[in-house]
Amino acid sequence: MYAGFPAYYFSSEMCVACGIRPACCPALPKIQSRLPGETIAVKALAAFWMRLLPFTLLVMIAGILLIERKTPPKTRIGGDGLQSAGTLSPVYASPIQVKLVDLIPASLSGETNQDSEPFLAVQAANPQVMVASAFTPNPVSSSSNAPVYVSQDGGNSWVLNAITPVPRMTCDITHAMPTGENHPRGDLHAGTLACAASITLDESESNDVSSGAIMNVQSTRSNVDQPFVRALAISNSDHIYVGVNDFNQPNGHTATVDVSVDGGVSYKSFSIEARNTAGQDGPSVRPAVAPDNTVYAAFFGWRKFNGTTATSDVVVVRDDAGGTGPNPFQALRDPSDKLPGRLVVKGASIPWSNAPTLGQERIGSTLSIAVDPNNSSTVYVGWADHGRKGDIYALHVRRSTDRGLTWSKADLPRTTISNATNIALAVANNGVVGLLYQQLSAGRWVTHVVQSHDGFATAQDLILASVPADTPVQQFLPYLGDYDYLLSVGNEFRGVFCANNSPELANFPQGVTYQRAADFSTKTLTDGSGNRVAVSIDPFYFSVPVIPRSAFAP
Amino acid sequence: MSSSLNFLAGILSTALLAPTVAGLPQGQNNQAALAKQSSIIFSGTVSQLGAVSFVGVPQSPQTIVVRVDSVLKKPSAVSLKEGDNITVEVQDPSAFQQGAQATFYAEGWIFGSGVAVKELGHEFNAGGGAPAGGAGTGEAALGQIQKQISDQDLQNRIASSDLVVIGRITDVHRWTIPKSAAARYHISEHSADWHEAALQIKSILKGTRPKGNKMAVRFPLSRDVAWFNSPKFQKQQQGIFFLKRDQVSGDPTATLGGDQVYAYTCLKPGDWLPLSDEVRVRSLLKK
Repeated sequence: MYAGFPAYYFSSEMCVACGIRPACCPALPKIQSRLPGETIAVKALAAFWMRLLPFTLLVMIAGILLIERKTPPKTRIGGDGLQSAGTLSPVYASPIQVKLVDLIPASLSGETNQDSEPFLAVQAANPQVMVASAFTPNPVSSSSNAPVYVSQDGGNSWVLNAITPVPRMTCDITHAMPTGENHPRGDLHAGTLACAASITLDESESNDVSSGAIMNVQSTRSNVDQPFVRALAISNSDHIYVGVNDFNQPNGHTATVDVSVDGGVSYKSFSIEARNTAGQDGPSVRPAVAPDNTVYAAFFGWRKFNGTTATSDVVVVRDDAGGTGPNPFQALRDPSDKLPGRLVVKGASIPWSNAPTLGQERIGSTLSIAVDPNNSSTVYVGWADHGRKGDIYALHVRRSTDRGLTWSKADLPRTTISNATNIALAVANNGVVGLLYQQLSAGRWVTHVVQSHDGFATAQDLILASVPADTPVQQFLPYLGDYDYLLSVGNEFRGVFCANNSPELANFPQGVTYQRAADFSTKTLTDGSGNRVAVSIDPFYFSVPVIPRSAFAP
Repeated sequence: MSSSLNFLAGILSTALLAPTVAGLPQGQNNQAALAKQSSIIFSGTVSQLGAVSFVGVPQSPQTIVVRVDSVLKKPSAVSLKEGDNITVEVQDPSAFQQGAQATFYAEGWIFGSGVAVKELGHEFNAGGGAPAGGAGTGEAALGQIQKQISDQDLQNRIASSDLVVIGRITDVHRWTIPKSAAARYHISEHSADWHEAALQIKSILKGTRPKGNKMAVRFPLSRDVAWFNSPKFQKQQQGIFFLKRDQVSGDPTATLGGDQVYAYTCLKPGDWLPLSDEVRVRSLLKK
């Protein structure tokens, strides 16, 4: 906790953050219970403080109200600009400029879809251009193409454009925009799954995401799961890495990375699993790419599976030449068996439930990996497993500073997080790591962004949203998504997550901008013509400044 | 609602009677096809040429801005009303001048602070005012058009089905793929969670009656995004089932009463209809 930030903006259990309930202030009963055993002098002192306490609480409440009045979230439609998160910190002498935008456009104010499982791509050449996605159906036709959200002004405003090669709605979509030097609004590479009886992967490209042109499919095949696209800008020949769980691979070695070194014109598929599996690996296969052509990939090596639990290794592979060699991703070998792929964790117990389990969310395959863009020796991996007794699902983060050869033996400080999912890691240019996750806490989904420069020994935890977990009722699974996303752009962490879209100021402590019609005074959504619209799940874009390393306390 | 419906009915019925409109296919079937194809139909006045109505839409000589006079058809999620400016990417920009009034048949394109559409067809309003026809032709005409569209969808569904069966579900159980086909079966969030229903046949509306009085129908019980819209069956459920031979679950056959039979699937929304639609389905089968 950074003392200079108002407690209201952070997640720690301080009285001001959660009301004046005794449960939030364990110190109160402790003070009272200790009094009988103390000396008279101490009793007198305690009595003085007890008399002072109500006044102190009143002052604190007044302070909170004042802060809220000074920083009202934006509620107007189509608003832009940055949102101040509050006062300055002595360790970070600049305002925290948080931008949080509900992606649903004004002209679709009547929609009530469960727009879950978000993703984000930022164009490398012009970061003002971004593409976001979610399980958003084509708004007007079941036969037209599934859309993506496009921003050309750094995320202040977004439009929905139906350019994916998939009919109506994707069943998985991730993407990257590595260059765009020849296409001001282009070079979007996407991996999409179509919601058909035979789920098919398309790897496709758009040279202009603002046009109506449907993305050009460059590669397609069926019987794969969960494409996860990362890319590296190479002039005129972007390197594209698509993690997939490819059921076409022999011997159950399904964890696969599709590699293109020619901008998607051609792809080669490489299994990155070298060990015996329980017939297959877990769904999540996550590449991470550094500018020096170091490519990591993390996956769940499923060793046993009984229908409800996967006994899984968390495996990291590495390639030092951008995956261009004949046998890539074999640079890391585990000392235990000398096989490719470093076992960061062995035999993790991972619950598998394709039913509402963590609140209304399903669980089973939550994984993220991020590499320092300026020091590819430093790499972080995060995953979810069963956690401790009493947990439903728990997040963990570990780090390697020697190119994946050795890893922290235990979770990094503060990164064993109970009943949370949708972990996303990113590392900024200054080496500060960002951690996005969503935690089910006291009946609410709470979305956090944490930053740290020292492996989470010290960290800044910012809450972007805290929304009811029981509304709306899920239409399908995933409720919020099997993933969300975080990346670093210059001095910003940018990301996307999904949440209940009820227009309530208290749900968004950093403020929020709605494009769709919303009345924050009455906490109602409307269709633009004054008719009420039910609460649903919307995708939200955010930008948070990377904290300078010098701002962290020594 | 009613005024819009009347308006559309008037336009459509007038167009049917006077097939000399610009930019539109000829004839009643084409008219209905165009109406079906269009997700957004509106009447408006051209206010700008080579322009767009909001940021985020690529401007070109083909884009025009139209002030909406009346919205005749749109999805409920779309915010579009009289007085809004809408961007239309037209097929032939030379056909339009500022001030021209027309009814546009369009498909959605870009949705932001406003709406942009792509023109599928248009008709200039006679006399430059409101479209001809008016409300007098009533909702019956529109209803006829909509019924025609709906019937076409149903006919397509019938045509693509191997069997159309009226029947009742007598049993539902989880179906596990046999070991012989298990190599093709994998675990993912998109797994269908296949269930098999025993369907007692009352009558066959299309196709050859299977051997015996029952058949095996597989359906996904999964709530995953890929399957949540599929019909989910319960014991004693009756209705009309539009079935295809199983090419999805991994095993095309089922065991029923000790016999090996073809298995069928019911996957898409609308592949099951209540018995109240029986007369309609039978009448379409005769066409």
